Amino acid sequence: MMFLSRSPLFRLTVSALLLSACGVEAQERQGDPEQAERRRAMVEQIESYGVRDSATLAAMRAVPRHEFVPGRYRDRAYGDHPLPIGHGQTISQPYIVAYMTEILELEPGMKVLEIGTGSGYQAAVLAEIGCDVYTMEIFGALAESARERLGRLAYDSVEVRHGDGHYGWPEAAPFEAIIVTAAAGHIPPALVDQLEVGGRMVIPVGSVYGVQNLILVTKRDEGEVRTRNLLPVRFVPMLEGLR
Amino acid sequence: MSRYSRPLAVALLSASTLAYEILLVRVFGIEQFHHFAYMAIGVAMLGFGAAGTLLALVRPGPTAAERGFVAAALATPLALVASATLVHLIPLDATQLPWSLRPWLKLALVYLLLALPFAVGALAVLLALVLERERAGLVYGASFVGAGLGATLALSILWVALPWRALAVPAAAGAVGAATVAVARRGPAVVAIACAALALAALALIRPPWELRINPYKALPQVEAYPEARRVTERADPVGWVVAVEAAAFHHAPGLSLGYQGEFPPQSALFVDGDIAGATTDWSGQEDRRLLDWLPTATPYVLGEVESVLVVGAGGGTEVWNAVEHGARRVRAVELHGGIAELARESMAENAIPDAIDVRWVVADGRRYVSSAGERFDLVTLGPGRGFGASAAGVHALNEDYLHTVEAYRDYLGGLTEDGVLAISGWVTVPPRRSLRTILTVGEALRGVTAGEIGDRLVVVRSWATFTVLAKPSGFEPRAIEALTEWTRSRGFDLDWRPGIERPTPGFNLLDEPVLYEAAAAAVEGAEAAEAFEEDYPFTVGPVGDGRPYPHHYLRAGSLSLFFGAERGSVLPIAEWGYVALIATLAQSLVLAAVLLLGPVLLGGGATTGEGLGLVLAYFSAIGLGFMAAEIAAIQQLTLLLGHPVYAVASVLVVLLVFSGVGSMRSDRWSARHGWAAAAVLAVIMTIYAAGLLPLSRALQPAALPARGLVTVSVLAPLAFLMGTPFPLGLRGMARGAAERVAWAWAANGFASVVATPLAALIALEAGSRVLWLTAGLAYAGAALSYRAGRTTAATTARSRARA
Repeated sequence: MMFLSRSPLFRLTVSALLLSACGVEAQERQGDPEQAERRRAMVEQIESYGVRDSATLAAMRAVPRHEFVPGRYRDRAYGDHPLPIGHGQTISQPYIVAYMTEILELEPGMKVLEIGTGSGYQAAVLAEIGCDVYTMEIFGALAESARERLGRLAYDSVEVRHGDGHYGWPEAAPFEAIIVTAAAGHIPPALVDQLEVGGRMVIPVGSVYGVQNLILVTKRDEGEVRTRNLLPVRFVPMLEGLR
Repeated sequence: MSRYSRPLAVALLSASTLAYEILLVRVFGIEQFHHFAYMAIGVAMLGFGAAGTLLALVRPGPTAAERGFVAAALATPLALVASATLVHLIPLDATQLPWSLRPWLKLALVYLLLALPFAVGALAVLLALVLERERAGLVYGASFVGAGLGATLALSILWVALPWRALAVPAAAGAVGAATVAVARRGPAVVAIACAALALAALALIRPPWELRINPYKALPQVEAYPEARRVTERADPVGWVVAVEAAAFHHAPGLSLGYQGEFPPQSALFVDGDIAGATTDWSGQEDRRLLDWLPTATPYVLGEVESVLVVGAGGGTEVWNAVEHGARRVRAVELHGGIAELARESMAENAIPDAIDVRWVVADGRRYVSSAGERFDLVTLGPGRGFGASAAGVHALNEDYLHTVEAYRDYLGGLTEDGVLAISGWVTVPPRRSLRTILTVGEALRGVTAGEIGDRLVVVRSWATFTVLAKPSGFEPRAIEALTEWTRSRGFDLDWRPGIERPTPGFNLLDEPVLYEAAAAAVEGAEAAEAFEEDYPFTVGPVGDGRPYPHHYLRAGSLSLFFGAERGSVLPIAEWGYVALIATLAQSLVLAAVLLLGPVLLGGGATTGEGLGLVLAYFSAIGLGFMAAEIAAIQQLTLLLGHPVYAVASVLVVLLVFSGVGSMRSDRWSARHGWAAAAVLAVIMTIYAAGLLPLSRALQPAALPARGLVTVSVLAPLAFLMGTPFPLGLRGMARGAAERVAWAWAANGFASVVATPLAALIALEAGSRVLWLTAGLAYAGAALSYRAGRTTAATTARSRARA
């Protein structure tokens, strides 16, 4: 056995098998050609709206969004609109997902915290770019189903935690990027703390259901925080405390 | 049937449908979003006109008309229960309307179900008019008086019952109407159906067969989903359904500095109609109160000592505590919504403010309070919350707000002590809108009360989420500005304008363009520069006055194309959808009215009615348009006089409808020959009101409520009396009592009234209430001309026939 494992032929065979398995995985993720075509059209649309980051667009092209929406909405999964996922929560419209991802200026290997896992779609996009993703969800049922879904689709670089996003994930901090996908009434101090110097955080903020703005928070070298209002949005609010 | 049983039934049925309309607006406003409620019910009201078209096409004889009247009267209460029940069974998510076709089919079904009771009720009234041709004034008057009583009933019941439980009350009124018919007819089947209707209405009153279904994306269900969230109280009145929810996870601190490192005190979320309306906070902990000094609304306290504070729109009381924490000894908290004020007062009592500090809560309109209280304050402050508009009160969702007009800001400045400061805060929007309007409005108000430069009397502060505009007529001192500069830097807030500023400075919270600085610079330069700034900006952000009190309306045709035509980065903010919903309501009403009215006429429905049908339609459409335009203009202007949207809606609806009813009844004794004169006199009165009612309202604002109520009745009653006469006079003088023409007249009037509602709202938004009065006057002038032309045509035709 020892001999075999050192044999180039064995290595080649194992590699081929692994590659083949990955290929099957990727193929399974992609879904049928019709879904892939819809996804391609969706990304083209997003590109036409002004998203330019090639890594973001490639990730959006690769992640099977139809796997992240309830069965009855599958035929609408690639339309540019939010969809309900239960518990009064929604999966964001693809453009917003792409826009927020691009704003973070991500690179493979970056450590990213996501608050508001939902069905896991945004986490999958981040993982597809090559980031190590820590994602938190307040609703236990959503966290569980997202964990199962992300595992099934082999997004192994995603850690899902059922927890309260207002306090962040101190054990894994600091993060080079933080993305909050549910509106908060204020910017939680814990998240500002857990953002690495030079890091970027994107968060929808405003009154719970009044005016909400997508805000980019950057932490400068000296630890000073700057904000920039990006665009008006409407998200489900961020919940605090376990559920 | 006795002489008065039919008019009595008509009055009760009219009461039931109008009460249903008012309550439906309230229930839909809670369950869905106000814009959607306005659209759905606005379109459903076309049921009124549809009854006329149906009758014109069917052309029933006297016996069939009598049977139809009884059937429609009996069906009205049943339709009211069925409509409320079935509408609640349709799982319509209005938020999906922009994305999919399927919800539109459900919406069409909702329209039909909502229109059903209005169509059936209207059919009963119309058939009564056909049956009582010689007493059209009495029957139509009974309908008006009944509608007035229905409005009273609906608004009264909202003081004691939750709106969705109150929804059964109109069915009960309708059932009594049906019983009146049954008593007169005495047929066993009729009596049995009337008894069944009474039993059904009673059952619906005791246990409504529908449940409140709030859209899951509204704030209340979202916050109630928080862990261990608990509804601690709920109360209802015509202004709104107030709910307080206790939830450890809920935090409300608009614009809180990113530098704040402390904990949040426990808070309860406050909701009005399911939308967030602030929070009450447990400020008993000394440490917790530190948070107050990290809010942007603490800005005015940095400038120097503040002894007395007036908080306008005090909401849950955060700004009251802010004043107390910063050393104020006399605080007046003015809140329009009694339910919110009560909760805040209870919360403050629990937190025990020291006796030495004089804190008083006043349930009133802040503007009226400042102009009538006779007190002066070191600080008048308005928080980021919004004032309540008439939309909260019911029928006409216009959202007028007299707290943020130029005249209002002048009133606040007039209520300051010699060195007093006015502070106005709001949420920052993208692209900036409200902040710019506030700066320009404060600038214009300052120019009106002080002489000379205003550059050293204005300060603009901005956090990542809110802005605060400060105005000090006596001018800010350099030392105060130094302290302010240091404090804002420590909080991470930006000073967009301060005395001595020469160029925009790079700040903590970045904007693409320094538009707040530019707006302030324009405001300081003068009225012309401010006007030029607004013209160049894609939104309408200039100051608004009492004549057009819509400070939250920013869209214009150009800005709509900016949103819809630009890259996807620009999304039409949800707050602006009211304007789009208004246009959608108008468009849908116009199309449906054209299909239901003009379609049948063009397809031959009017072929047998002879000449002059066009003039009949023009006359009855014009008086429908005139009536609604006058009603909405009166509500808007009298809101300023009465200081409360509910008082304005209630008094205008009740006085207008009841006195119109009296006028209508009285008109039976008038000759139809000079029927045009009533419309002509109305045109003159409305032109006078266009010039005089608003200044009168402003002048009498400080008077006591009974005096203002008396003025309201005196102003409206004679107008309403006359407004009740053109319809019955027209039936006699133009339609000449012919059943088919009566039906067409009804249809034209009904459709015009429904189309006129969003149209009048649009005119008010774009041109103001004075132009709305003039529009009403013009409509009545047009009616007078149509009447004369119609009479002339009829006389010519009669002469030709005689010669032949």
